[in-house]
Amino acid sequence: MDDQGCPRCKTTKYRNPSLKLMVNVCGHTLCENCVDMLFVRGSGNCVQCDTPLRKVNFRVQLFEDPAIDKEVEIRKKVLKIYNKRDFDFPSLREYNDYLEEVEDIVYNLTNNIDAENTKLRMEQYQKENSDLIKKNKVKLTREQEELEELLLLEQQGNEQRRLEALQEEQRQLQTKRKNKQALLDELEQSKLPATFVLAQHKVRASQLETQIEQQKQVVKPTTLFSTGIQMRQSVSLQPVPRIEEVLYHYKPLHVEIYGPTVPQLEQLGRLGYLNHVRAALAQDTAGGYNSALACYRAIQEAFSGLFPPKG
Amino acid sequence: MFHNSSQRSHWIFDSEDELEQKRCDANRKFREEARGSGKSVVLLERHQEDVLFRHYERRLLDFCNNFTPPMPKSVLGTAMMYFRRFYLNNSIMEHHPRIIMLSCAYLSCKVDEFNVSSSQFVGNLLQETPAGQERVLEQILEYELLLIQQLNFHLVVHNPYRPMEGLLIDIKTRFPTLENPESLRKSADDFLTQAAMTDTGLLFSPSQIALTAILNSASRAGLSMESYLTECLGLKEDKETLSKMYDSMRKIKTLLKKYELPKAEEVNEYKLRLERIHAEFASASNKRKRGYEDDDHVVKEPRLVEEVRLGFDYSHVSHF
Repeated sequence: MDDQGCPRCKTTKYRNPSLKLMVNVCGHTLCENCVDMLFVRGSGNCVQCDTPLRKVNFRVQLFEDPAIDKEVEIRKKVLKIYNKRDFDFPSLREYNDYLEEVEDIVYNLTNNIDAENTKLRMEQYQKENSDLIKKNKVKLTREQEELEELLLLEQQGNEQRRLEALQEEQRQLQTKRKNKQALLDELEQSKLPATFVLAQHKVRASQLETQIEQQKQVVKPTTLFSTGIQMRQSVSLQPVPRIEEVLYHYKPLHVEIYGPTVPQLEQLGRLGYLNHVRAALAQDTAGGYNSALACYRAIQEAFSGLFPPKG
Repeated sequence: MFHNSSQRSHWIFDSEDELEQKRCDANRKFREEARGSGKSVVLLERHQEDVLFRHYERRLLDFCNNFTPPMPKSVLGTAMMYFRRFYLNNSIMEHHPRIIMLSCAYLSCKVDEFNVSSSQFVGNLLQETPAGQERVLEQILEYELLLIQQLNFHLVVHNPYRPMEGLLIDIKTRFPTLENPESLRKSADDFLTQAAMTDTGLLFSPSQIALTAILNSASRAGLSMESYLTECLGLKEDKETLSKMYDSMRKIKTLLKKYELPKAEEVNEYKLRLERIHAEFASASNKRKRGYEDDDHVVKEPRLVEEVRLGFDYSHVSHF
């Protein structure tokens, strides 16, 4: 792809890294210098498509493709009129249809498809829904304000905490400095031997140190959960509605073997079956084999399907 | 276990007539095909097929019995059952029993976890040269998939050998009236070998065959085991089941009695005819089977042609 550049003076970003490209409603670019030159009087026509433009409408190009800048601009305008929200509709389906209509309008305007009709459609919609639009606008601004307020509060909180921390630090520094000064004074005036004074001071310094540590550890009790709910606030805990279902009933597996009942594997030894089979050798049992398994299998096979089918 | 096996649901039939019907159908199907192809050979009748079938079954039995290393009985039984199941829906005129029989034995070695390598397997064909053995092995592998498919992928076969062991253990444990149960084993074993060469495996459950073998062996030794059935197997109250059991045991015994060895002169005559039939139809079926080799040729041919043409073009250019 070739470098971005001004279509009029042919300067590119490569040659002039500080080049500032601007875009107007028609979606065509011009560099800042050309804009200044051509629109000295505040209005003029686009170099590429001859659309009448105003200087104030020039924006700095944010995207590589100026068509996207144009679309963003158009979308902003359309959404000012089409400002219904999901709870203004009885069903999700209708809301989705409405969203699609908005997308259609934005697309049409961006790509100049049927632009006249689309504009008419918008105007008609504006007339029909002027009340709702106004109401929603008010609502939106109010919400915006609330949001800003919240942000402001948070900012203030942060600032206050920062200040407190700063003050605390300063206080600590001061105490330390005072302590040092006291030591010097004492060394100067006291009649006691210097080592004694030093030792005394050391004890005092460590005491101070622990005090500070303790202070740090005492954290202010939080009054808010991270979700924003006040602590110790009684939240109504309604019991979750229970779903009653029929309980699963275990039925033991019954296998029809079409023959006499086979004794259980565990009972083979007690019933004396194992006296009549070859005993497993020591090396056989390593893998978990025992003679009862072979015996059990033989008897199962002997009894399986022994009786002729009934009926 | 047998009671929920494919053997019980798919390979146990109601009557001998049903089996005979299936075999006749297979015979007729091949006749129709043969007529369609317009070749004039004398085909085998159903009863002639049966003679040859029994002959090759006998050979399969001998092959398995003389196998080195010695083959467990269950492998033998499985191979015999495969052979029987295969020719239930196929005519021996379509697939030669000589190779099917070896494929059955080879497959049953694998399925019953009797581990022999393929070269070891064909090494048992003593009358063949090593090159001949190699050729046979190739044929076995070629037919193996067809065999599996014709068996409807039901490869697990429940043989009566283990049920017989189980019954002997049960008799020793719960029926001490019988003095020496081990003495019954020899003749019961023979009974099962005989049974493997009849349709009993397609009509009755393996445990029924095993019980019949033991009771037959006991009655030969002059011992009565009726009380084992009534007391130990709990059939005292259930007269209906008991009579049915006796009925099926009688049927098994008559099936065994009906078996007769194929006569040598008949076998030789039909064998000649079978060879002629296979020679006649081999060319057609061979082409189908050897399809993959033909494909190879197809792949190689165009490349050769291209090389030749390129050479020609090149000389053409250099001429100028």
